[in-house]
Amino acid sequence: MDDDIADILASVSAPPLPQRTLDLQALTRAWVTERTAPELLPYPTELVERVMERVGKQISTIEDMTGTMDPQANFTLVILQTELERFKFLVRSLVRARIAKIDAYPHHYLTLPALLSPLERQYLASHQALLSSHYSTSFLSTFPTNLQKLDDTAGGISMVDKPDEDAAVFCRVLRDAGVVEIQGPSQVSEAELKRGDVWVMRWSTVREAVRRGDVELI
Amino acid sequence: MYAEQANKLVLDAKRIQKLPHLPPYAATTVRAVTKEVRDLDREVSSLLAPYNTGSTQGSDGTQIKSGGFNPADDPATACALLVNHLSMRRNKRCLLAYHRVRTDKLEELCWSGIDIADLQAAGSTSTSRNGNQNAMASSLSAEEEQYMHQYSDLLAAYKGQWTDIDLTGSLEPPKDIFIDVRVLKDAGEIQTEYGSITLTKNSQFYVRQADVERLIQQGYLQKLG
Repeated sequence: MDDDIADILASVSAPPLPQRTLDLQALTRAWVTERTAPELLPYPTELVERVMERVGKQISTIEDMTGTMDPQANFTLVILQTELERFKFLVRSLVRARIAKIDAYPHHYLTLPALLSPLERQYLASHQALLSSHYSTSFLSTFPTNLQKLDDTAGGISMVDKPDEDAAVFCRVLRDAGVVEIQGPSQVSEAELKRGDVWVMRWSTVREAVRRGDVELI
Repeated sequence: MYAEQANKLVLDAKRIQKLPHLPPYAATTVRAVTKEVRDLDREVSSLLAPYNTGSTQGSDGTQIKSGGFNPADDPATACALLVNHLSMRRNKRCLLAYHRVRTDKLEELCWSGIDIADLQAAGSTSTSRNGNQNAMASSLSAEEEQYMHQYSDLLAAYKGQWTDIDLTGSLEPPKDIFIDVRVLKDAGEIQTEYGSITLTKNSQFYVRQADVERLIQQGYLQKLG
């Protein structure tokens, strides 16, 4: 199946696939990438909208079919429900993975609102408000005023924590993506990303290629 | 010694990460650490007072340099200031870490569908059963209880936006839509698309996973196989 994806992406002349199949692939890939990348990725707004619309449709189809009580339809129903559950799982897991990352580095993502969906922005803002009021009622309010800040960068240590951009990720090259520079312990070496290759690389090295869709994380 | 109390908090936080429940809030230690910070701050101001000619200055390193105090003139005072300054920051970090670990734990509870009422209920039953005073609810500080209330409201609001998907559902990939469950506690009657089922203790059913997800999380049912 993975070969299929690579083929499709490599040649534009391949027979076009229906949008729903592409969406499933895109959703699965977004899910895998979100779970493996150390950093938050841009929110796939349109994709999630299309998927949610289809989930809604599928739910009403299933409701209609259960209403008819046709024993013939039972098998189809089981398949439809299984598919629905799997779709729901993908979306749920994707959203939860994003929330987990946002919660881990809230101040960092407050400065990068473009990566978040409006809902996530809302969540982040109110969560931060909650946290800081909790800190201040618990102990911060009794602190000297110059020590009350939560996003202080003075004094040697920045209070804004960042995800580790140099974490290693496993990736597969979907399209030839040219040459990337790899910073070794002593010297800089180069690696050519050829279609079908599997690499372990620093996230910062392949980030751009992943965003372009030339490389997928596995 | 400076920061000794704060170190206790950090060790406690480390321990909490591994524990299944939340130990009591270390109110005394937290108070001791905040008091230490205030004392240190006072000491810093009194050390700086002679140099404080015109402008008001804080204990922040950059401000000291720009003020009337020259560290090269009096290394001993400079050193004392630096130590005090770093200790205050360290204490703050320790306090933040301790509270963050605890709130993370509370958030985890919220996500798994336990709210504060459940905690208090669980706490009161265990208190009446074995006289255990260290029940969960009482181990939260008043601020933490409030935080948990507000966080579950926030979570509910966020979840409400995803109409078709239960975000707090299982994060295990679904294999079958029907599963075998055993009833651990009487849960009364539930309505499903295939009619109603009465869940009595020790009985076993073959039901749709989506219908009983919540009951499994709440511990009424156990998934088999």
